[in-house]
Amino acid sequence: MARILVIEDDAETSAEIAACLSASGYQPKQVFDGQQGLEAALAEPFDAITLDRMLPGRDGLQVVKALRDAGSEAPVLMVSALSDVDDRVSGLRAGGDDYLVKPFAPTELIARLEALLRRHSRSGKAEILLQVRDLELDLVKHEARRGGRRIELLPMEFKLLEFMMRNAGQPLSRRMIFEAVWEYYFDPGTNLIDVHVGKLRRKIDTPGLTPLFKTERGLGYMLHAD
Amino acid sequence: MRISELWRTTTFRLTILYGLVFALGAMALLGMIYVQSAVYLTRRVDGILNNEADALMRSPPQAMSGRIAEALALSGDRISVFALFSANGQWIAGNLGALPPALRANGPPVEIAPTHSFPAHARLIARRLPSGEELVVGRDVNQLREIRAIISAALLWSGISIILVGLACGTALSIGPLRRLRVLQAAGQDIAAGNLKRRMPTSARRDELDMFAGTVNYMMGEVERLMSEVKASTETIAHDLRTPLTRARAQLHRIQQSPDYQPDDIARVVGEIDEVLERFRALLRISELEARERQAGFKPTDLAKIISQVVELYEPLAEAGGVRLSAAPAPGIIVDADPKLLFEAVSNLVDNAIKFSGEGGVVEVGLGGDRTRPEIVVRDNGPGISEGERTAVLQRFYRSERNRLIPGSGLGLSVVAAIVKLHRFELALHEANPGLRVVIKCRGSDLTY
Repeated sequence: MARILVIEDDAETSAEIAACLSASGYQPKQVFDGQQGLEAALAEPFDAITLDRMLPGRDGLQVVKALRDAGSEAPVLMVSALSDVDDRVSGLRAGGDDYLVKPFAPTELIARLEALLRRHSRSGKAEILLQVRDLELDLVKHEARRGGRRIELLPMEFKLLEFMMRNAGQPLSRRMIFEAVWEYYFDPGTNLIDVHVGKLRRKIDTPGLTPLFKTERGLGYMLHAD
Repeated sequence: MRISELWRTTTFRLTILYGLVFALGAMALLGMIYVQSAVYLTRRVDGILNNEADALMRSPPQAMSGRIAEALALSGDRISVFALFSANGQWIAGNLGALPPALRANGPPVEIAPTHSFPAHARLIARRLPSGEELVVGRDVNQLREIRAIISAALLWSGISIILVGLACGTALSIGPLRRLRVLQAAGQDIAAGNLKRRMPTSARRDELDMFAGTVNYMMGEVERLMSEVKASTETIAHDLRTPLTRARAQLHRIQQSPDYQPDDIARVVGEIDEVLERFRALLRISELEARERQAGFKPTDLAKIISQVVELYEPLAEAGGVRLSAAPAPGIIVDADPKLLFEAVSNLVDNAIKFSGEGGVVEVGLGGDRTRPEIVVRDNGPGISEGERTAVLQRFYRSERNRLIPGSGLGLSVVAAIVKLHRFELALHEANPGLRVVIKCRGSDLTY
């Protein structure tokens, strides 16, 4: 059972995050200020950390910097009310692994944490062929095949499919998809990502085949893994 | 008005400085006159004394006493001094009782105070005769001393009067500006106390104080305008957020009252709250954009590239909504911009255009203008925005009436306006008959590629 350290000064939000983590099978530990958070993170091993950007005591940027300086490699999800690209960049530069803007749905937080946990466990592997069941994506030849049959994809669709296949079995929020595939950090609205995923879905899940795409209600999409 | 306060005014200091310089000049002039005239008169006296001494020296030694008596009789013993003393300083003849100790034979002239034998200031020279006796010749110099005294007095009084007049002028000249400063100060304190309508008084003189007051007044105008803008946007925000919050509260209240509520009821409340959060997110985004440092992330940006990326992103959405989205950008037009922000702005415009033109609509994105003022044009054939509302929708945090039925923050155009303002571009809305034509007037990059 993965252990998650939740550093968040607002008791309600912290309780909500902890409850969601417990419900998803994680073991959360709540800490309410920066200094305690840093001490807790260094005292015992955690699989991941959610860290509020603005904290009493020590602010989030200082905490993540101190963590990295002390040699900790636990993935850190920074949570902030500041959404500007500059804030995001400074958060990631300080050592954060992902950046989530408040207000957020708890499912979004879980999805991002899971992505971080997975990325952390298989980082450093360079792949040339991605495979999910009978769907194959050749990253060198830029080709997609399902059950041996070639599928024509536009460049953006290829990028989208690659991202979803790399995170197969992992629910992905619309915002995560937009940030990873298009590399923009503003709010694209719900429909926009839906239509892009919808188009790709129709190309991959043609009638008669076992559907690989799954809609995650209130969050986004997931590609079924094995 | 205290002296220390007066002293701090520039006018006063300048007047005093000028007064001092003038006094010094006048003193130098009088000093020159004094030196020139006194020296001239003294030299003349010395010349006469030498001539007289020379004349007497030429007479035979035994006749000296007689010549002295003669000379005294000729020029009067009240004006001239003629005297003869023995080698050891004993009086022999003439109108000087004793040999003055400072007087040296064949030495420089000496001036002596009045004595019993010659009752006036005298200038004397002494000559040693071949017999060893000493001849003293002198002259009354009271007149010379008087002229010296007159010039000295003139020097002193003119100096004093120039300084006094300078002080008086300085004070008089400084009091005026100081009074005006007092008035400006009072106005400033009134403004600081919260009376933002108050302005600095100005005169018709257009002097430096008026220039300063004018600048302050302009500043105050800007502050007042910004304050009222902030107030207006605060009211808009309050109004905008209160509506969905009130609805959510009412719905929650209804759920609380009825024992058998439906899950859909709660979903509706969640929807209302989500809308509030959505608006907050947009408001925060606008504040962030406004607080951003200008030019921070700016680089040469190809407008055609931005447009085709936006169209690529929105094409599927348009298709799903039955809207024809087309773009005809000419490549190679470069502007200095933050490409991510410009992308966000154009995205917002295209998103709006697709939403409002609806099924069967046509949205065109293109480039217009020329190379120095290129324009990004987004045109739809939807219902458009009424003329009265067109300027309002560009205001900070304004939420258009037409957004009430469409999901989203409704602040898209405000976000676009903030981004455009950050770039110092211009945003304009035009009637497209039917529909709306939104134009972002950019500035061409000075650089060529």
